[in-house]
Amino acid sequence: MLSKFIRSVVQQGHANQRALAPFMTSSVRNSGTATEATFETRPYKLHKLETPPNSTTSCTRDEALTFYTQMQMIRRMESAASNLYKEKAIRGFCHLYSGQEAICVGIKGALRAQDSVITAYRDHGWAYVMGCSVTSIMAELTGRTQGMARGKGGSMHMYAKNFYGGNGIVGAQVPVGAGIALANKYLENNGINVSLYGDGAANQGQLFEAYNIAKLMNLPAVFICENNGYGMGTSVDRASASTNYYTRGDYVPGIWIDGMDVLSVKEAISYCVEHCTSGKGPLVLEVATYRYHGHSMSDPGTSYRTRDEIQEVRQTRDPIMLFKERILSADLVTAEELKKIDGEVRKEVDEAVKIAKTDKEIAVQELAADVYSNPLEITIRGTTPYDPYTHQRLSKIINQH
Amino acid sequence: MAALRAGFLAQNLYRTHFSKVSRFNYLYAALFHSSPPLNAEGMPLKMPSLSPTMMEGTIVKWLKKEGDPIQPGDALCDIQTDKAVVTMDTEEEGILAKILVPEDTKDVKVGTLIAVLAPEGEDWKTIEIPAGEESAASATTAEDTPAAAAAGGGHAHGNYGPSVRLLLEQYGLAAEQVPPGGPHGILLKGDVLKYIKEKSLQPLPVSAVPPPEVPKPAVAAAPVAPAPTPAVPAPPPTIGVSEDGYEDIEVTSMRRTIAKRLTQSKSGIAHSYGTLECQSDKLLALRKQYKNEGINVSVNDLIIKAVSVALTKCPEMNCVWQGDQLTYASQVDMSIAVATPTGLITPIVRGADFLGIEEIASQVRDLAARARENKLKLDEFQGGTFTISNLGMFGISEFSAIINPPQCGILAVGSGIVKIDENGSPVTCMRATLSYDRAGVDDDTAAAFLEELKNILENPVTMMVGGYKSQVDHPLAALL
Ligand SMILES: Cc1ncc(C[n+]2csc(CCOP(=O)(O)OP(=O)(O)O)c2C)c(N)n1
Ligand SMILES: [Mg+2]
Repeated sequence: MLSKFIRSVVQQGHANQRALAPFMTSSVRNSGTATEATFETRPYKLHKLETPPNSTTSCTRDEALTFYTQMQMIRRMESAASNLYKEKAIRGFCHLYSGQEAICVGIKGALRAQDSVITAYRDHGWAYVMGCSVTSIMAELTGRTQGMARGKGGSMHMYAKNFYGGNGIVGAQVPVGAGIALANKYLENNGINVSLYGDGAANQGQLFEAYNIAKLMNLPAVFICENNGYGMGTSVDRASASTNYYTRGDYVPGIWIDGMDVLSVKEAISYCVEHCTSGKGPLVLEVATYRYHGHSMSDPGTSYRTRDEIQEVRQTRDPIMLFKERILSADLVTAEELKKIDGEVRKEVDEAVKIAKTDKEIAVQELAADVYSNPLEITIRGTTPYDPYTHQRLSKIINQH
Repeated sequence: MAALRAGFLAQNLYRTHFSKVSRFNYLYAALFHSSPPLNAEGMPLKMPSLSPTMMEGTIVKWLKKEGDPIQPGDALCDIQTDKAVVTMDTEEEGILAKILVPEDTKDVKVGTLIAVLAPEGEDWKTIEIPAGEESAASATTAEDTPAAAAAGGGHAHGNYGPSVRLLLEQYGLAAEQVPPGGPHGILLKGDVLKYIKEKSLQPLPVSAVPPPEVPKPAVAAAPVAPAPTPAVPAPPPTIGVSEDGYEDIEVTSMRRTIAKRLTQSKSGIAHSYGTLECQSDKLLALRKQYKNEGINVSVNDLIIKAVSVALTKCPEMNCVWQGDQLTYASQVDMSIAVATPTGLITPIVRGADFLGIEEIASQVRDLAARARENKLKLDEFQGGTFTISNLGMFGISEFSAIINPPQCGILAVGSGIVKIDENGSPVTCMRATLSYDRAGVDDDTAAAFLEELKNILENPVTMMVGGYKSQVDHPLAALL
């Protein structure tokens, strides 16, 4: 069943095809490429807001190259993870982000150093844009020492400065995100917090508790629903009484964004930064997107939707393809440059995979290292009370205030 | 006898494996030598693990040919895993340059190179086959620091894996007794096995029977009696004839799964048995009557209905394990053992207790036909609540069958036999043997069920009465 959601977005995609062309190209040129271009953003939908985010956005050549590289890197990493999983080099949980890359890249493109992010288990792309190296991500997936959590966390548990990680409990990251926003307010660091959750999580009660406290205290919190059409195998229409997720905050204003266009995402987040830092309180965003892979590696992803549906999105709405077309037709970059980036991305991921397959695992005693930031007891129970471990500090503590 | 057979089987597997390896080597060699001067290196496509338990797979069908362009997300081939046929797709873009493992090559190990993609823009005909890379290189563990060894004290954390622990427990051994042979003094399973063999140790007697292995429903419940296959198709491919004149038969992954599941069931579940004998003349008459009215149902269909009704009257018999939890199913989902060319499979007639007899007959016909063509979907043969295996049509008068976990009962139905009753008149008698899981079903429950069933079979009109109570009336009940 092709859900209403998909159909409406696909139609919208067609309707806006013309908007792909650059609105205006600046005249500053440099060896055949422009240094900056202006693009139209995809129409936003608003809830309890008067003014929408800007209908145009500018993108520099450097930004274009960065966004393209980041999205390609994530796509490539996820393919590599999929292959490693099918070789049994990655075990356990593994949720891939392919198709949703424009969201983390666009959001990160608008965030400032003091802003923070927390997301669910689909977190590899986020770990990457928040500063984890490709090697540290791939090695974490295979459980090796060069992993960013020394192989102890795995797919759902990656962290970086101002990135509060993947979280395995559906929806649980959202109240935590509200808490981080409260910390920002308390510390007066002018930062905002972005909490991401899925369309499935959007129906969890704890989200509404978080909206409430955030609005009550006017916290600098942005709650972002990544609507990829499905929560596991259940389409949004079958799960949600209202699929207008940007209106679900009721008294919290909201914006709907086409999450397949990285520039529209970025422009909307700039708007959110402005909104939150001027003391207007939280926002609820819905970012329309699509997930190419199954929910996790145990889901082939084709029993509740057709292959045609997936291929149609890949061919008409793919975020990387759309962005590539936009920046090429605006002369921001050349096709050769992009091809070169593709090659470099492939090489970097291949090398990371090699390390992820050959690196060592941690020694058994290290299981008890870095469990607490400030251990009050240094003895940690083993599998029985009679074989205790000793707590050690091996990694640098991040995100401690 | 059983041990002999097991040994024979193992030997066969060993041989299969060997002949396959050499075949692959040959294939690689042929490719390397026949290729003209090579240029760009191709992208490897390996046999994926498509289920958590899959170790090897068979490519049932290639959906792309050599030379076909490949887009990310395209379906490449259908692979038979240990559970089902799953489509493999790829994230790569390019051209399918070379298929290395042809359709129907049995049991290709996960990680084996199966095809090569040419990157976009390269000439796919001259693509280089990537050198055979090892998949999932096993992890080496960082050396335990001396300090930790001192603190932990050698074997303190049990420096061995679960299989070693299990063996130690089974043979009542302490880890220190066995000299370790692994790196860093790690105790390996092989060390323990060697030690056991050297000392000719016997496992300790097992005190308690573990609860039955649950969640995955068995692929098939086979009757113990060998199932005479009707209209045998081509015999299974033979691998070769060994010197002693025995033929090696290729063991399919389905057959291996059947072997594993049945052994687990028979050795892990407290099988108990009860046999009923009934007069089936009225049942046969009913069938004839239907037939005269143009309604084509078999005796088997009538038995399915009768058993379903008996189960609704005796719901304690219609139970399944969910983990350690025994639950009474809300309806009768009847698994029916069907012989197929590759082995037995049990498609399910769902809600058999509230289906009409004609509906049952047509579903059974459809399921059985598709089972023989290997076209059943996963949910069509997984998740029944009770199984019937009927060898009556083959003239088997009585047999017993192995329980299909997580179900708790299977009924083995024999053929009708004409006997003389006490008045000297001929009657047709039929025997059916119930195998039930004694952990979940008490003897008196089984007896009550058999009695109920006997009544229905001897007075089939009672099938029309009642038995519909399982129909759920609340629309949300199915979700609970
Ligand atoms: C509290 C809780 N309930 C259920 C689950 C199992 N679960 C994991 S992911 C998931 C679906 C979530 O879907 P959605 O929020 O749309 O996120 P997506 O996977 O699409 O990114 C469920 C039900 C869980 N992890 N935690
Ligand atoms: Mg979702």
